[in-house]
Amino acid sequence: MSPTAFDPAADYPVGVKRPDLLRTPTGKPISELTMQNVVSGEVRPEDLRIAPDTLRIQAEVADASGRPQLGQNFRRAAELIPVSDERVLQMYNALRPHASTKEQLLAIAQELESGYGGAATGALVREAAEVYERRGLLAEPGA
Amino acid sequence: MATAVVPPGISLREIGTAGRGVRPDEVVLALSPGFAGFFTKTIVDIPHAEVVRQILAGVEEQGVHARVVQLHATADLAAVAHTGARLSGSGIGIGVLSRGTTMIHQKDLPRLSSLELFPQSPLMTPEIYRAIGRNAAQYAKGDSPQPVPTLNDQMARPRWQAKAALLHLKECELLVKGAPATEVDPVIEDPA
Amino acid sequence: MSSLPYPEAPQPRRSLRTEVLENRPVNKDGFVQEWPEVGMVAMDSDFDPRPSIRIENGRVAEMDGRERADFDFLDQFIADHAIDVDAAVEAMALGPRTVARMLVDPNVSRAEVLRTARGLTPAALLETVRQMNIVEIMMGMQKMRARRTPANQAHCTSARDNPLQVAMEAAEASLRGFSELETTLGVVRYAPLVAIALQVGGQVGRGGRLTQCALEEATELDLGMRGITAYAETISVYGTESVFVDGDDTPWSKAFLAAAYASRGIKMRFTSGTGSEVQMGNAEGRSMLYLEIRCILVTKGAGVQGLQNGSISCIGVPGAVPGGIRAVAAENMIASMLDLECASGNDQSFSHSPMRRTSRLMPQIMAGTDFVCSGYSSTPNYDNMFAGSNVDAEDYDDWNAIQRDYQIDGGLQHVGEPEILAARSRAGYALQAVFAHLDLPAITEREIETAVYAHGSNDLIPRDVLEDLKGAQSVMDRGVTGLDLVKALHERGFADIAENLLTVLRSRVSGDLLQTSAILDANLEPLSAVNDANDYAGPGTGYRPTGERWEQMKRLRHVTSAENPELEVS
Repeated sequence: MSPTAFDPAADYPVGVKRPDLLRTPTGKPISELTMQNVVSGEVRPEDLRIAPDTLRIQAEVADASGRPQLGQNFRRAAELIPVSDERVLQMYNALRPHASTKEQLLAIAQELESGYGGAATGALVREAAEVYERRGLLAEPGA
Repeated sequence: MATAVVPPGISLREIGTAGRGVRPDEVVLALSPGFAGFFTKTIVDIPHAEVVRQILAGVEEQGVHARVVQLHATADLAAVAHTGARLSGSGIGIGVLSRGTTMIHQKDLPRLSSLELFPQSPLMTPEIYRAIGRNAAQYAKGDSPQPVPTLNDQMARPRWQAKAALLHLKECELLVKGAPATEVDPVIEDPA
Repeated sequence: MSSLPYPEAPQPRRSLRTEVLENRPVNKDGFVQEWPEVGMVAMDSDFDPRPSIRIENGRVAEMDGRERADFDFLDQFIADHAIDVDAAVEAMALGPRTVARMLVDPNVSRAEVLRTARGLTPAALLETVRQMNIVEIMMGMQKMRARRTPANQAHCTSARDNPLQVAMEAAEASLRGFSELETTLGVVRYAPLVAIALQVGGQVGRGGRLTQCALEEATELDLGMRGITAYAETISVYGTESVFVDGDDTPWSKAFLAAAYASRGIKMRFTSGTGSEVQMGNAEGRSMLYLEIRCILVTKGAGVQGLQNGSISCIGVPGAVPGGIRAVAAENMIASMLDLECASGNDQSFSHSPMRRTSRLMPQIMAGTDFVCSGYSSTPNYDNMFAGSNVDAEDYDDWNAIQRDYQIDGGLQHVGEPEILAARSRAGYALQAVFAHLDLPAITEREIETAVYAHGSNDLIPRDVLEDLKGAQSVMDRGVTGLDLVKALHERGFADIAENLLTVLRSRVSGDLLQTSAILDANLEPLSAVNDANDYAGPGTGYRPTGERWEQMKRLRHVTSAENPELEVS
């Protein structure tokens, strides 16, 4: 493995220039995603997902190319990786207008923060709760 | 509002606040605020008199009774049609906007759902309006008719999209907040 | 004209010329007067706010004449997430004319414009483009486009949702040069089979084309997570709070969704466009472009890499008002000016007039955008399930001639018939093999033979739709993934297509396609605004089709040979 430090301004595409830094969420190096390993069944569908560290690397690339919002999105995304597909969709639906009470939104923020280390995503949900309250977009309690 | 006289003309004689029907064999035709008033014809110049005449004829040829109401507080098609359905003794209503867009609704369905939707006002014809009346009457009798085939025309957008928006904006200007629906008697004056 | 079958008034006599003009296709288009009070106006309205900003304690305290306490949710999201408060005061002080001049001045670099643009409010961006005529807007686009190399996107759909047709159209579209392929359905339940067909077809030949299936969000995300599609773009945002809420979303729910897509490694862009709010009757008295600028800033603030805009499905609205198509070009330019990937419209039936259809294309094809069309119909328009595009399969030769006339790169090239037939055929057999491998309803030799030579779905052998729908359901029930497609292709003798698809799937693990304006190049390596940054800096710089690419663009269906004028080369 190369000990060279990652240079976000020069090492894109990461998959071409620094494959040594990339692993699947199951811990396999990206170089093991070969046809031979697919055919032998060694590569599983869960190996073809993105890992949190990879998104943090891409966030550095985004920051270095002057795109801080994109970088922030990748950091939020890194936090959502361990959340199940079903739960992610439930959280999204809870953020729709008039879908949740303030308490329900704050509980989701809490779940993200304490259950998944999701500080950035939790903050987004907390902010939504404040705005929805001010703009009358919360669900009626008990409704 | 004064009745505009275009051949064939129609005026909606107001009877009173619209109430819920009791006859299980009725369909309610619900018209938008500007129908047969500020507006006299659909986006493709079908006279409103013709629209009403065809729908009522379609309903009546099935042996079903029709009642006509006009809304004043909304020009949203789903809301117009759903209000019609809720006022209808059978629970079946037909909503028509001034530009010609039409929906068949049922009172127990969610407002944003529908039995049949005809979203492209420029493609409506007198025959389609008659078939809509016929189908609504069959739903009212508890039948499950074949839906009226909907048409599609890719060139409707460049020709009609902006005019449809203008007609919608103009109809929205006629809204009277909180005004109840009125029951009306459509008087059709056909010089022919 | 009125079609009333009622007593006719005597008509004044008309000239023969009037009759000719009356019958021109342009007179089938709709044109309406402006009505600025309700927002039926492109970009010049007295009812739009005037630019202003006040920063207090590192936060926007007032923007475009509105105090923070009165912000609607778009104002707040834009103020807190899109606008760089450190750049705002200086940028706003420049004034719209100076910023407009920076956009067209080759001595001002793209990076310098970006540093200014990140501090501008919606009204300031609007005032800036109001200074600019269409040529200046195109100059701005040429400099501000994120990716140096322009590209194009195709729609691959079938009026019968026939997967075989979609696979072949995808293979042909790839050969013709499209970098992205988008499909959608008439019958939504057909989606899994059609998405598989698109993915397989898009990997034939050079392959590496990124595919998308436009559906409601949950299903679209599901297909993406399985690796059956590669990106998504139908995530809509709107410019007024009321229309946004009617669409059952907020900027925060959409920002969350953006993170969800990235967390699954899926490239995504938002969609918006001038005219959507006024069409829904809730423009709150603002011009179409002012509201679209708010959408662009919401996209920026959500940290989404790009935007599909250029009115899109509402094109009939700006297309009908004075200056409307100038506003549509301006909205593309502003997306680029805010450093977003721009998939620039030209994707919906726009006009009956061939002249207006061509003129509609000019700002984007001449200046070059990340995707000139966000989708060009790769089928005849009757098969286009996005309700028709501005350009379709019958326009290929015209498009290629326009590229050659001006030496401008709209992403496509002429391809000879033998190559096209070979690609279509290979896509057909590859899909046949995948269906067989996955126990899906068989594709026959006769179906393939017919479809290779077909123009549209009218020419095809109809499929057993009910059987196909059962198959589609089983794809979902069995949890078929992109990996299963790779295996099927490999085991059935389509190793090259399998390898291309595996490369696309691997790029998800690397996350490289999540960066701004990413596509895969001819070597199937990521090409984005990061490693292919637009370096336009005036005449003689930036992207210009030269060398091998220009030679490719010189070829047309019929070109008389200079060596022997009795022959044609192609």
